[in-house]
Amino acid sequence: MLAIDYGTPGTVVVSGRLDAAQAAVAQAFLDKVEGTVTLDCSALEYISSAGLGVLLKTQKRLLASGGKLRLSGVSRHLQDIFGYSGFDQLFEIEPAR
Amino acid sequence: MTAAPASATESRVFPRSFDALPAVFAFTADLFARQGIDRALLPTIDLAVEELFTNMVKYSATSEADVRIEMTGIEGGVEVTMIDYDVEPFDVTKAPAVDVSLPIEGRRPGGLGLHLLRHMLDSIEYQYSGDRRQSRITFRKTAAAAPGS
Repeated sequence: MLAIDYGTPGTVVVSGRLDAAQAAVAQAFLDKVEGTVTLDCSALEYISSAGLGVLLKTQKRLLASGGKLRLSGVSRHLQDIFGYSGFDQLFEIEPAR
Repeated sequence: MTAAPASATESRVFPRSFDALPAVFAFTADLFARQGIDRALLPTIDLAVEELFTNMVKYSATSEADVRIEMTGIEGGVEVTMIDYDVEPFDVTKAPAVDVSLPIEGRRPGGLGLHLLRHMLDSIEYQYSGDRRQSRITFRKTAAAAPGS
């Protein structure tokens, strides 16, 4: 399952699995954010191409209005996925500690 | 973690719907646990299964048949076969490449699933039986192989 909610100001916390069954839920939430937003991925266990599509759409929208989406707490596995997909060139990524 | 020796194949069918994904992931997690397969491989296996399963749901919409997933623990990892019934051929190994070096303006959603699988799996094979209208996709992932090898 997926959980997504506001964290500290400027942060959205996503946890669980961002798969094809949950992508619409994530997109509906992120469609409401504005400005520069950090997506805390430290509890995000899994992402598929459907989830990548959500992130891409959100980044495009925020960049168009002068903001952006940053990704923090990114696990080694997710870093690999972001690397293979070229998302490490499209997003500011902070690895998990 | 050392994987168990090659194990019996376990098989299950799933309705062709995104709603079946939780059950699919429960199947993979359960098999990994029972056969002692390295859990570090599970996210990649789930990714491959999801990408291929969702492609079957999206692009073979005229079929009403369930999708069969067979999994076998092998030396150092796992082999998975996904069987789709009453479908037209679509060779996933020949899907067009995605240019991931494009700037964001040129990036479009879609196509990344199969692109990721090419990088993250040891191997992926496609077979189609015209007389049975059946697609079989078999892939392997082990801990020993480097990604994309």
